[in-house]
Amino acid sequence: MPKKSNLKKVLILGSGPIVIGQACEFDYSGTQACKAIMKENIDVVLVNSNPATIMTDPEIATKTYIEPLKIEFVEKIIEKERPQAIIPTLGGQTALNLALELHEAGILKKWNVELLGATPDVIKAAEDRELFRSILDKVGAKYPKSYLVRTYEYGLEVATELGYPLILRPNYTLGGGGGGIAYSPEEYRSMIIKALHESPTSEVLVEESIIGWKEYELEVMRDHKGTFVVVCNIENLDPCGVHTGDSITIAPQMTLTDQQYQDMRDEAYKIINLVGVQTGGANIQFAVHPTTGERVVIEMNPRVSRSSALASKATGFPIAKIAALLALGYSMDELKNDITRSTPSSYEPALDYVVTKIPRFAFEKFQGSKDLLTTQMKSVGEVMGIGRTFKESLMKALLSLEFHAEGIPDIAYTSEQLSYPNSQRVWALFQIFRDGKSVEEVQDLTQINPWFLEQIQEIVQFEKHFTKNFKFDESKKEESVQVLLDAKRMGFSDARIAKLCGRKESEILALRHKWGLHPKYSRVDTCAAEFESNTPYLYSSYWSMKSELPAFDKPVAIIGSGPNRIGQGIEFDYSCVRGVKAIQKNGIPVIMMNSNPETVSTDYDTSDLLFFEPLTAECVSEVMWATQAAGFVSQLGGQTPINITKKLLNNGFQLLGSTMRTIDLAEDRGLFSDICKRIGLQIPKSAMVGSYSKALEMQSQVGFPMICRPSFVLGGRRMEVLENPDELKSYFERHKDFISDDKPCLMDQFLDGALEVDVDVVRGKDWIIIGGIIEHIEAAGVHSGDSMGVIPPQRLKDSTCDKIEELSRVLANELEIVGFMNLQMAIKDDVIYVLEANPRSSRSVPFIAKATGIPLIDLGVEAILGKSKKEMQLDKYNWRNISNVCVKGVVFPFKKFSESDSILGPEMKSTGESMGRGSDYSEALMKAFLSSHVKLPSKGEVFFSLREKDKDFLIPIAREMQKMGYQLSATTGTAAYFNENGLECISLKKVHEGRPHCVDHIRKGNVSLVINTTTGRQAIEASFDIRRACIDYSIPCITESDAAVAFLIALKKRNEGSFDVTNL
Amino acid sequence: MKGYLVLESGEMYEGTLLNSAHAGSTNFERAGEVVFNTSNTGYEEIATDPSYFSQIIVMTAPQQGNYGISKSFWESNQIHIQGFVALEIQNSKRESSWVDQLGNHGVPLLSGIDTRHLTMRLRSGGTPWGAIVAAQNPAQAKTKADKLIQEKRVIEKDWVYAVSAKDSQILKGENASGPRVALLDFGTKQNIVRLAQKYAKEIKIFNSRASFEEISSYNPQAILLTNGPGDPADVKIAVETTRGFIGRRPIYGICMGHQILCLALGAKTYKLKFGHRGSNHPIRDEVLNEIYVSSQNHGYAVDPKTLPAEVKITHTNLNDQSVAGIYWKEKSILGIQYHPEACPGPHDAQGLFRFFFDEMVASYKYE
Repeated sequence: MPKKSNLKKVLILGSGPIVIGQACEFDYSGTQACKAIMKENIDVVLVNSNPATIMTDPEIATKTYIEPLKIEFVEKIIEKERPQAIIPTLGGQTALNLALELHEAGILKKWNVELLGATPDVIKAAEDRELFRSILDKVGAKYPKSYLVRTYEYGLEVATELGYPLILRPNYTLGGGGGGIAYSPEEYRSMIIKALHESPTSEVLVEESIIGWKEYELEVMRDHKGTFVVVCNIENLDPCGVHTGDSITIAPQMTLTDQQYQDMRDEAYKIINLVGVQTGGANIQFAVHPTTGERVVIEMNPRVSRSSALASKATGFPIAKIAALLALGYSMDELKNDITRSTPSSYEPALDYVVTKIPRFAFEKFQGSKDLLTTQMKSVGEVMGIGRTFKESLMKALLSLEFHAEGIPDIAYTSEQLSYPNSQRVWALFQIFRDGKSVEEVQDLTQINPWFLEQIQEIVQFEKHFTKNFKFDESKKEESVQVLLDAKRMGFSDARIAKLCGRKESEILALRHKWGLHPKYSRVDTCAAEFESNTPYLYSSYWSMKSELPAFDKPVAIIGSGPNRIGQGIEFDYSCVRGVKAIQKNGIPVIMMNSNPETVSTDYDTSDLLFFEPLTAECVSEVMWATQAAGFVSQLGGQTPINITKKLLNNGFQLLGSTMRTIDLAEDRGLFSDICKRIGLQIPKSAMVGSYSKALEMQSQVGFPMICRPSFVLGGRRMEVLENPDELKSYFERHKDFISDDKPCLMDQFLDGALEVDVDVVRGKDWIIIGGIIEHIEAAGVHSGDSMGVIPPQRLKDSTCDKIEELSRVLANELEIVGFMNLQMAIKDDVIYVLEANPRSSRSVPFIAKATGIPLIDLGVEAILGKSKKEMQLDKYNWRNISNVCVKGVVFPFKKFSESDSILGPEMKSTGESMGRGSDYSEALMKAFLSSHVKLPSKGEVFFSLREKDKDFLIPIAREMQKMGYQLSATTGTAAYFNENGLECISLKKVHEGRPHCVDHIRKGNVSLVINTTTGRQAIEASFDIRRACIDYSIPCITESDAAVAFLIALKKRNEGSFDVTNL
Repeated sequence: MKGYLVLESGEMYEGTLLNSAHAGSTNFERAGEVVFNTSNTGYEEIATDPSYFSQIIVMTAPQQGNYGISKSFWESNQIHIQGFVALEIQNSKRESSWVDQLGNHGVPLLSGIDTRHLTMRLRSGGTPWGAIVAAQNPAQAKTKADKLIQEKRVIEKDWVYAVSAKDSQILKGENASGPRVALLDFGTKQNIVRLAQKYAKEIKIFNSRASFEEISSYNPQAILLTNGPGDPADVKIAVETTRGFIGRRPIYGICMGHQILCLALGAKTYKLKFGHRGSNHPIRDEVLNEIYVSSQNHGYAVDPKTLPAEVKITHTNLNDQSVAGIYWKEKSILGIQYHPEACPGPHDAQGLFRFFFDEMVASYKYE
């Protein structure tokens, strides 16, 4: 049967802001699905609250709503658009849960909307663990023994029966949120309370441990005819106990026999059938006992998932696209395989290469949190390495992490780092083999399957072989050529080879080329070369004899942004993808390079030539040599391409847009302040120091408070506001490893209370356009990625905006920007200070583009390609013509990092952003908070704990809240002050004043909102428990006085109840 | 040890031979038809499948030998392949290894070659003869290989007879009320026998050249024609034998058995350019009314235009639309080109055994 003929309009639900466990893979799947459905001449209405996505680019869907993913907003959209169906399977757990809520609230029935892809019954069957287990019983599948716990008391009872360790899995949460492994009754008691709280249904599955079992995942598809295929089978290197999102995973599976694998496949088929997945993608996780082969089912998801993005990139099979078309009524045999264009989709991909996925973590951002991996996901991004062998793919993946140019540097480690899974374990594995330990010993420590350990051991043994047999001086050329080729085939980077033989990386490159050793490029073709493929999706290998490159005339290369990390995420993928299209519009073929499997940029139909490669200077250069690229663009992928630009230039490639000199002027803080001084721009007083003694010399010149940071950092790593000399001392003690004369630390005057703005500018050869000014809601001191923002500005005077624009133009001209520039400025007492300039597309570009409708990326690309003013129609773009107000909301992962503090500062900690669009500020604010998963409580108690200087400022806020019917409470000092000012207020003890104190009060569930402002390391530490309690219990916690003002505005709007929804 | 895969057309792939220090390490250089298989797993099942008689197997999946060996996966009592080629073959010291297994049987293992390049060569130029040899240089390799290929080519072409059971044998089935089954052994995989045993009361295995009379004297209630190696046109006697049973007994032919069945019906077979070998081919099955993924291993196929009009093409390979199976309800004939018995590969088509025995045989009106 072809598609359902009655379908004219469908609604697709996105997944909202990026959070741990739900990242840009859903942008990838949603974008792919939108494109596929649009091609069927069906209108697509898209709802997503995340402005950084490609899917919310107005060109992707028929109508795009950037609105909160909450039922009342979606209902309004349904009412307005009247779609016939909703596809809820592409927007992760968020979309699935939302669909279920819409169903349960009777909204689907009311508006006669059908759910395609997964019905409420299917969603429940997979998500409700009791229901799911009854299905497993029916098909005879085993599962770990477990009990569904709804109360603390019952939880204790079952724990005694199951014994320790125990696994806790709260129902209906993302990425295992709130779950974990309890090794002792003490640990278990606190964890079960938290887990019960985390589950929206207060249900937790307490499960016997299968720690140490082998873990597998099957990505499957099923159509309405019942045709079933396994798109990809994935094996985890890390045994059970580590969340699969945090595990190193390999496709295809490596250590199962055909019989074990086929039995697993059969079981998956039966389960999918019985759950009733009618159409679309799903995944099922299994665990297999390493020696007995006993198999249990861990879980299934009846939707496109994080691993389906990985599976799509690993195999070339476009899961989301096919899932969307199946939901429309097609069957798999009716859909062609896009890659071969001759065979149908009802097949299973065959791989003649190996892919390895490695997650990227951000523990260093969350002081206090332990670097330990459990069943709760903590990684913020991932990379994939494709190689012809496991070794090559693992080594390429390690390089892709952008952790170290050598990929597998020598490191110091402890044996705990092997026994307790953590973010550094993979390097410890290499090092322990260098130290001569045997596979058996390492298996004992790690429980990792010996096949993987043998592979790692062979790489390490080869290092020794290489050092012995490689002669750089050509004295034994024939052997040396062979051993160098063997090294490259194993995936060694030139940098590591250089280290092994005591040479420079550039010397190895030169010798390698002299000996004619280049990688060749093979295709990901879904069929192991059985059929011809027409799609240039390529990866490098030193095993391949011949490149399968199509010829393109003078292609331009765009370097992507690599793995998502805090500070560099999906926004840059938006820039790259939009950039590809913009260059193509000029008739120039585009090469896309990236290492992140979650992205749209690595979709095979985004660019003309896709290279899935580590973004190292070496790998990027080889691609450019092989394709004879005319030049490269390094402004679109964030800091990653900027960091390798110098090396690419040294290799003789042409940089398009701003020159290296411009990049240096903007990036080097010394040079940058010189320029600003020269052209008379105000900058905060600053000094650059390479040591503590130098810092002491300079402290009086800068003055306190000051902000300290090492140069060349992203997302404000190790950046802190220091209030006094003691803190300066402590700062240098803690960060001494990162500060030296080569890597100086920058001390900046801190503009206390200043208003901050982000400005995005595009400059062409004879033109400049201002994309917009985002006014930050929090005062200076909070990292721009973490502060909320609003466009158009609400507090800045028009004349100040004019001045900001003017200064931006002057600076862009002075730096000779060609393409993008992002500026951060602070305004204090009507004086404008320039804080920093980034010579590239920025985090705020997609937000501005969507808020203003100005196609900023396209304009930047035109600038880079050298378009002159008369070729452009710039007059139509004026950001001040914006009719709505747009507020940027932010999302933080504190919940996943117990022990971490939620206070905001100069180091970026947020994982994602949302956009609230409204006809006025209050509506936009309200939506931004809701979209960022911040509750806006309509009643209850508001608890204040304020630093001295905020008390006066916040008195009117407290008064207003009291008028609105909220009960006030505060710590003793604040409460006394409130009382003096005529505010009735409950007084609560501070933590050090004895119990019951304010944290007990919060943890008891008495408080609906916390406003807690604080300064100075000591005060911050003293109030930590307050903020942590809020995180644990999902209570909104405002840590900034300006944010409190904004929150009140949103609260009022929410209580008033009215809102509207509009499309872009 | 340096080694080469040399194709008769002259191409050469230099790699590493893993045959050293094995019982069969003195005489392991072999020639065979070079074919590729796209399965990720199942190397042991493949090597012991008689259908691979006289073939050098190139695995497109790069990591082989990962999970060691187990006699329980053997599909016959010997290794039939003439060589095993993969990019990387794990030579683990942990347990009995695949390298040791083949090495001790004198089967060459060649690793470290670009199997993707070779596969593209086989895909575009067809499956040639080739040989795996140890040599110091290409010239030496070529001389050795040419000789091996010449020798191998002159052996008798009825490969089915070469691998067929020479003595007939009676096996007990598991179903007391099931039929007596005559199994014409063209080089059967053990899992065909195992699955048939579930439905049959008794199975008698006959040599591929057994006559109609010989089999009739057993008075079977169903005829099972198995898989086997080589060109169906070279198989002697079996076509006539099979023809004798058409319309007299329900017949189920698998792979070679399917081709012999079609020849008996008067159809013709032809050589596919590079064959179907793997575990991922989509099939439209109009008997079970499903689309599923199948296990494949065949170099020849039935020409649909030459089949009698009464015979329905009920199974189609969706990759290339070739004939994947036939069903003639009135005469109770079922022919399947692929491998419903799996091993290796997906079990999706095993319902065809149930269909043959529980529907075709059970409802058959014996004269």
